[in-house]
Amino acid sequence: MSGSVMLGESSSWSRALVKISPYTFSAIGIAVAIGVSVLGAAWGIYITGSSLIGAAIKAPRITSKNLISVIFCEAVAIYGVIVAIILQTKLESVPASQIYAPESLRAGYAIFASGIIVGFANLVCGLCVGIIGSSCALSDAQNSSLFVKILVIEIFGSALGLFGVIVGIIMSAQASWPAKPV
Amino acid sequence: MSSSFSGDETAPFFGFLGAAAALVFSCMGAAYGTAKSGVGVASMGVMRPELVMKSIVPVVMAGVLGIYGLIIAVIISTGINPKAKSYYLFDGYAHLSSGLACGLAGLSAGMAIGIVGDAGVRHPSFVFKIGMLEPMHSSQNSLLG
Repeated sequence: MSGSVMLGESSSWSRALVKISPYTFSAIGIAVAIGVSVLGAAWGIYITGSSLIGAAIKAPRITSKNLISVIFCEAVAIYGVIVAIILQTKLESVPASQIYAPESLRAGYAIFASGIIVGFANLVCGLCVGIIGSSCALSDAQNSSLFVKILVIEIFGSALGLFGVIVGIIMSAQASWPAKPV
Repeated sequence: MSSSFSGDETAPFFGFLGAAAALVFSCMGAAYGTAKSGVGVASMGVMRPELVMKSIVPVVMAGVLGIYGLIIAVIISTGINPKAKSYYLFDGYAHLSSGLACGLAGLSAGMAIGIVGDAGVRHPSFVFKIGMLEPMHSSQNSLLG
């Protein structure tokens, strides 16, 4: 078996993980980063959009102002796209002998974890902003002075997606592949 | 193969997953707290608009949970550096457990903030008192967790 002279196969988890290519982990991470973020954005938009359209039947004045909730949800999808593009630029091709080197494995794990962080943080952020946006539309329909106050709560909610992006980008800086042998 | 590497090669998997757990679960708690208390504030605000700004306290408390998760995730992620210091499975498991501890504590604190905040803001006569009790409970939950 090639590569079996490595250190560290001291647990069954390690023995299983060492056989999986780092490119598998990287690809899954990038896919989760964009896919789950867009899922969160879509979920938020449908929650807020359906309340907005329903409330606008009796109070048509709320429609243009409350589109801002939809924009906050959309921003979550854009964070996912940006991080997925950044992560895919971190992929480098290494020669076949180095694919299972410790440094390559670490780079694969870093991209995977970064993608998971961004994806799931954006998922919950999109959901949160969607639920608050729906209450914002409904309370704005009753009393238009409430719009700006509930918007403050939405801004707190959308900060969660930003936390995910920040940590994802910091972690992707750890993805350094082994240098090609000259 | 040059042997300037020491430590276990799959240990970073558990370390990075710990950082991920710290942030993701804290964000889940923060999102739940923000959403649930936000819905309560909006419902209450229809009847008493003047109390809305005072009732923002649970939302701010929930947002802080996300920051706790961010700090722990960054500390863990910058601590995984096999070139500077050997990173064994022990370190990987330690980082995984610290990330899970912070994350799951943040998740439970966020759920508590959401439920208490929602109930608290809907009773206008109790808004100020419940707003003060909550930060104590939530910070105890997340820092001791």
